[in-house]
Amino acid sequence: MLRSTVTPMRRAFSSAAKKNIVVVDGIRLPFAMQSTIYKDLLAVDLQRHALKALLTKTALDPALIDYVLCGTVIQETKTSNIAREASMGAGIPLSVPSHTVTQACISSSVAICTAAEKILAGQADIVVAGGVETFSDVPIRFSRKVRQKLIGAPKAMKKGPAGALSLLKGLGLKDLAPEAPAIANYTTGEVMGVSSDRLSQKFGVSREEMDHFTVRSHTNAGKAHEEKWYDGEVMPWNGSTEENGIKVSTYEKVSKLNPAFVKPYGTHTAANSSFLTDGASASLIMSEEKALELGYKPMAYIRDWAFVACDPFEELLLGPTYGAKKCLDAMNLDMKDIGVFEIHEAFAGQVLSNLNAMNSDKFAEEKGWSKKVGEVDQTKMNTKGGSLSLGHPFGATGSRLVTTASRRLQQEQERFALLAACADGGLGHAAILERYDN
Amino acid sequence: MLTSSIRSLTLRTTSLRSTQVASSASRLANNGITPRSFSSVLPKMEDVKVEDYFKPVEVTDSGVAIVRLDGPKAMNTISFAMSAAAKKMWNENIADRSDVKAVVFISAKKDNFIAGADIQDIKNMEDKSQMIPVIEDGLNFFKSMKAKGVPMVSAINGPAMGGGLEWALWCDYRVASDSPKTKMSLPEVKLGLLPGFGGTQNLFPLVGVQKAMDMMLTGKEIRPAQAKKMGLIDLVVSPHGLESSAIRAAEELASGKIKVTVPRKKKSWMNWAIEETPPGQSKMWETIDKMIMKNTNGKYPAPYAIIECVKEGLKGGDKDAAFKFEREKFAELAATSESAGLIGIFDGMTSLKKHSFGEPARPTKNVAVLGAGLMGAGIAQISAEKGYRVLLKDKTDEGIANGEKYINGNWDKKLKRKRMTMHKHNQNTANIVPLSDNSPAWKQHLAQADLVIEAVFEDINLKHSVIKEMEEVLPEHCVFATNTSAIPIEDIAKGSKRPDQLIGMHYFSPVPQMPLLEIIPHAGTSSQTIATAYNVGVKQGKTCITVKDVPGFYVNRCLGPFLVEVSALARDGASLELLDKSMTNFGMPVGPVTLADEVGIDVSNKVANFLSNADLGVRMTGGDISLMGDMVEKGWLGRKTNQGFYTYDPKNPKKKTISAEVKEYAKQFQTRDLGLTELDVQNRIVSRFINEAVMCLQDEIITDPVQGDIGLIFGTGFAPFTGGPFRYLDNYGIDKYVAMMNGLAEEHGPQFEPCQLLKDYAAKGKKFHN
Repeated sequence: MLRSTVTPMRRAFSSAAKKNIVVVDGIRLPFAMQSTIYKDLLAVDLQRHALKALLTKTALDPALIDYVLCGTVIQETKTSNIAREASMGAGIPLSVPSHTVTQACISSSVAICTAAEKILAGQADIVVAGGVETFSDVPIRFSRKVRQKLIGAPKAMKKGPAGALSLLKGLGLKDLAPEAPAIANYTTGEVMGVSSDRLSQKFGVSREEMDHFTVRSHTNAGKAHEEKWYDGEVMPWNGSTEENGIKVSTYEKVSKLNPAFVKPYGTHTAANSSFLTDGASASLIMSEEKALELGYKPMAYIRDWAFVACDPFEELLLGPTYGAKKCLDAMNLDMKDIGVFEIHEAFAGQVLSNLNAMNSDKFAEEKGWSKKVGEVDQTKMNTKGGSLSLGHPFGATGSRLVTTASRRLQQEQERFALLAACADGGLGHAAILERYDN
Repeated sequence: MLTSSIRSLTLRTTSLRSTQVASSASRLANNGITPRSFSSVLPKMEDVKVEDYFKPVEVTDSGVAIVRLDGPKAMNTISFAMSAAAKKMWNENIADRSDVKAVVFISAKKDNFIAGADIQDIKNMEDKSQMIPVIEDGLNFFKSMKAKGVPMVSAINGPAMGGGLEWALWCDYRVASDSPKTKMSLPEVKLGLLPGFGGTQNLFPLVGVQKAMDMMLTGKEIRPAQAKKMGLIDLVVSPHGLESSAIRAAEELASGKIKVTVPRKKKSWMNWAIEETPPGQSKMWETIDKMIMKNTNGKYPAPYAIIECVKEGLKGGDKDAAFKFEREKFAELAATSESAGLIGIFDGMTSLKKHSFGEPARPTKNVAVLGAGLMGAGIAQISAEKGYRVLLKDKTDEGIANGEKYINGNWDKKLKRKRMTMHKHNQNTANIVPLSDNSPAWKQHLAQADLVIEAVFEDINLKHSVIKEMEEVLPEHCVFATNTSAIPIEDIAKGSKRPDQLIGMHYFSPVPQMPLLEIIPHAGTSSQTIATAYNVGVKQGKTCITVKDVPGFYVNRCLGPFLVEVSALARDGASLELLDKSMTNFGMPVGPVTLADEVGIDVSNKVANFLSNADLGVRMTGGDISLMGDMVEKGWLGRKTNQGFYTYDPKNPKKKTISAEVKEYAKQFQTRDLGLTELDVQNRIVSRFINEAVMCLQDEIITDPVQGDIGLIFGTGFAPFTGGPFRYLDNYGIDKYVAMMNGLAEEHGPQFEPCQLLKDYAAKGKKFHN
């Protein structure tokens, strides 16, 4: 029933010339722990370098680009349209327009899908879509009270010394403390680790499972780097492609950590939660015909995508389940048809909860679905590491998922890839890629 | 604090610090005094046409006369003829008109106000004392304008340099555009002259003595924002609003709505203490003297003359007396050999911007640089800065990372010192495409190259294999340049499929600072290839000379006998200190011992060895160069290892001492003590250096003395005030020099024998420059 009502987005444009969207290439700068190799850079610099690295890798003439889109979450107010500043700084002609998108942890997924929509709408043929985040530089502000006073200051100062004094009235010492960006959700007031812990309890995910999953993530990532699998995807920074968040460890060690969010009996620790990461990524998205015209060998088609939202109080991070269902239904595919899974690992508990939800008849029944979404074959999931180990620069992760999935499709000669990611605010994203046969 | 605030005064013009050796000289390029091709004596008033220099004067309804300068060339300059036309323009259009309430001076050119005074006028005047009445005439013109008593406003877009800025200083108010081309300077010092149209008197009251001295002693360019801050400019506007803003300012000055004071605002107490109190002043002059001494070794008379003029003005007496003093000093300076030498360099640089090799087949957009070492990175940097897309290729990612680090380090410094905007910084960075063997698309990128500059290790087999590998991917039209200092270009070309497109481009290290580029075609190089290399070199900001394909090319070839003689002098008892001191006193930026340390003992040793085995014959004899060879074995490689002839303190780069060990070591090479004086050392080193330069002219390794002068000044820092080796010979007297060399040859051997061309010139009484 649902299948008939849910229409893939691209079909909305099918009355016009229907174009196929392809992923030509994608790269990322090495993801790195907060305040390490990128500590002196602004987010705009990271994004600029990533855009430039994509151009270098693909040898694309920057003048051919129709549009640049970048995703980011924590905004530096000086560069609120970071896409524009980064684009100009990367040597892309000043005549190429650009805008910035934000949707928490799926911001660069939005960038890429917006690129696809632009191409479908006939607005562009070549779009560079990227994303960036830095935790080495976040806007730390004065408190609201002090801000109010400062904004009113020019007016007050006109009244002379008395006016200046009046500015101090009502200000307490605690008002002078600077404010860092909030880590709790604005609407729910809850920290994400707490939400994920709650979700894990609901879907019966144990600490033990989480810790095993964490070790697996690091092991996969470590192996991929060791085998130089990421060469060509991770662009060298100062000559190195090392991603310093990868810490191959043992279950014994990981299981010793104390809970980081819900105390004392919570399950989420510093290890099985993704860490604060600096990084940037970029993807080259084109219409199939344009890519072929320029002599590129695309890696994958972007076949379908969905952005979904759910109740942030109860199931903040359950978006992947809803998104995956939407895409699979739209494409008339079964979970068994998928050969490559790239699922964002915000928390081990969150990923495993979603897998449980997707594979739960009970949950399907609750939702009134005719059947469960399906069982994800974990041997095909995040085999080159995930956000837990590689890191999770909020704005940059979505593009990483697309690039890695596309490359895996080519190398593993699988047909379809399913991408899924959760995001703050109860948002979620899923997409289906198909291998491009060159 | 007193000294620190004056310390900002630097004499960059004649700065002779080691790595900057000759970079300073290159700055002469923008010296605000442009040459003119026609020669002239004083023009007759009736021959001068106002319309050749000015658009018809327009007077607005509000009584503002708009004078639009529009000289016969692309750049407005102040020549004798222009000055006469100005007088006529003023008298016919403005002087007697009572409805003119204010005057605006603006240029009708798109991108310049007045680029300076016409240097040719000065050069053509045989007796420089004749300058005095001519300048007086010009000054009287400014005074007569002022005497009308209406406000005058200069509206500046593009350079206002030298006489151009002095013109603006005679005005009551200055508006400048914020165009990147707008800059103000008094660069006369770079030509061994001073601002003679009242500049030494009119600037300091406006901006203060310290800032004025900084401008006049360095010739530095001041950008609009900075000029506004220091009071040199009153208003900065967009280029489109320049004329209307200047007119409004003129109206408001006339109506009294705007009132101006000199200086514009009260001095800070610190500046007051320095500039207005006797102890402050004496400390200030002392500091300035020290700076001049440090940067020029007292070899240039112009800075001292400028100081005298300002001091004259500070006495506060009759202004006309100070102006008179100023123009007399100007005439004195114009007659010095230093000024003639510096003007010779400037003329040489200007002439070397052009070449006669025709147009290249196609314009160069993409420059590939192979090898991201110090050389390659330097070449990449200057190319990217000038807008080339640079395909910087190295074998490994690490190699590329090091190259990028070097380049970005240099740009970050410029950004920090506000010599580069963030956007320009990012654009430069974006212009560099870093490629290694790991880069998936390096071949696609290289297939776009118009010019390749190869800066890989000096090994003929390696160079051949690089050429072969590259020619498989490079486009047919691509020019291949090799940056070698030792291997014959002809031999390198043997490895190429397209030898006619192969050429040598010999840069000097560090590339961003060193202004010279030797372009070395081999016998089979096509002229289009030479044209491509030359055009790129000029655009990179280098002064290019074309040199024949012989061992050492030009600059290093001259350094060979120089190095040998240094070891000969050590053998004859000259201490290391004496060697250095003698040559810095001659006017070299650094002495030979320091030079060897800076360049690297290994590198110097290699050059010396290479040339000893080349075709210089007797001219490479007379000394034992194993002096340096043994040092290489000991690992004393110069500054880079903190131990060369000098011992360097890694914590304090300025500190260097000669250790007992090195003294002992040098002693081993000493076989006698001739009790050498400074003059002996100078004569022996310089004569071998110069003789080799003349040999190069004789053998047509260089085409003319201009290239010879520029090459050694920019390549080795040869005393710039001499104007180069050839001008030095002219000035010294070639016959006298030959006689001196003959004496040395008699005493020390045939390595001192003057070459045939020198003997011929001496016999015929000819000069290299006329």
